[in-house]
Amino acid sequence: MYRVLVERYRAEFGRYASAMLDGDKDDAADALQEAFIRAYDSLASCRDPNRFKAWLFRIVSNQCHNVRKRRRGHLSLERAAEHGEEPASRADDERADIGEVLGMAMNALTTEQREAFILKHVEGRSYAEIAEMLAVGEDALKMRVYRARDELKKRLEELL
Amino acid sequence: MTNDSDKLSAEVQRYLDGEGPADGIDSSACAEADRLLEATARYSERLETPGSEVDRAVMAAIGARATEERESLWGWLVNPHVFRVRPALAAAAMVVLVVAGVLGGSLRERAPAATESAALPSTILVRFELVAPTADRVSLAGSFNDWLPDGVQLTKNPDTGVWTGTVPLRPGEHQYMFVIDGAEWIPDPDAHAQVDDGFGQTNSVIVVGPRGVIRS
Repeated sequence: MYRVLVERYRAEFGRYASAMLDGDKDDAADALQEAFIRAYDSLASCRDPNRFKAWLFRIVSNQCHNVRKRRRGHLSLERAAEHGEEPASRADDERADIGEVLGMAMNALTTEQREAFILKHVEGRSYAEIAEMLAVGEDALKMRVYRARDELKKRLEELL
Repeated sequence: MTNDSDKLSAEVQRYLDGEGPADGIDSSACAEADRLLEATARYSERLETPGSEVDRAVMAAIGARATEERESLWGWLVNPHVFRVRPALAAAAMVVLVVAGVLGGSLRERAPAATESAALPSTILVRFELVAPTADRVSLAGSFNDWLPDGVQLTKNPDTGVWTGTVPLRPGEHQYMFVIDGAEWIPDPDAHAQVDDGFGQTNSVIVVGPRGVIRS
């Protein structure tokens, strides 16, 4: 039975996980896998089955945040070792693809802004649905999305 | 940080939310907003998402854990254990064991009745049907096949659009759903009972007796 849930929600949250992890499909797969196993282990703590989706999303979201934190640590070490290059400068070579430039620009967002922007614009969900998934008020959520757009508009101007 | 001059106006934000018209918005601001939307659309097209390898890995991990737990229980059962019991409790335990032995003997005398049911078939062939003329593929997933979405493929009658398949089921209650084109899970519209699976979805129910389907 759990297989059915994994299949349904892997399809539903796959885009979110991939976008949260810079489009890295393998990292997204790892995050989802870990999230589903954790959810299985703590199914008893899902007190309201009607809110299973929101409960599971929170586990997936936490797992994506954890992977981002781990990667940030690795990236900063690598950058220090290489006297690193700002990721944004790669845009000069990749002007042709505005989608890829947006992906780089999204690195300038806070994790909360990125999450809100992805759920709103990449996934096309309504503010009401996202507010429930993230357990935040709609006004606070809109503010995250607005700030994300402001930042992305500015970055796109710089990069394109 | 974003300065005030970098911020999108309230009208543009409403436009990006799909709640306001483009009319009346400064043309350069409108172009910026459209560029952001185009970039998002292109970004979304490029996104690769994890596939069914995640499902297999999760189920394998959970299955492996269940095996470990079984082995650990088996190990506990077969390995010697030392129990310390106070003499008074030991005497009480002896009484319980003697009573259990007497009851066990009387239960064993009834055992032949159970062998009669062994003559009945262990599985019953059950035919499932779904009318789905526009589907390219229909399969059956249920509690009897670990909910594998491609476990039982149904066959289509091209004249009627009816998909059918026959499955051997053990007597008892089974839950199931049809899977259309590998993606859409639907309950059986003709099932006698539908139950909430506890996760916001509905499963169909079939009850199989030792001599055939009791309710479907």
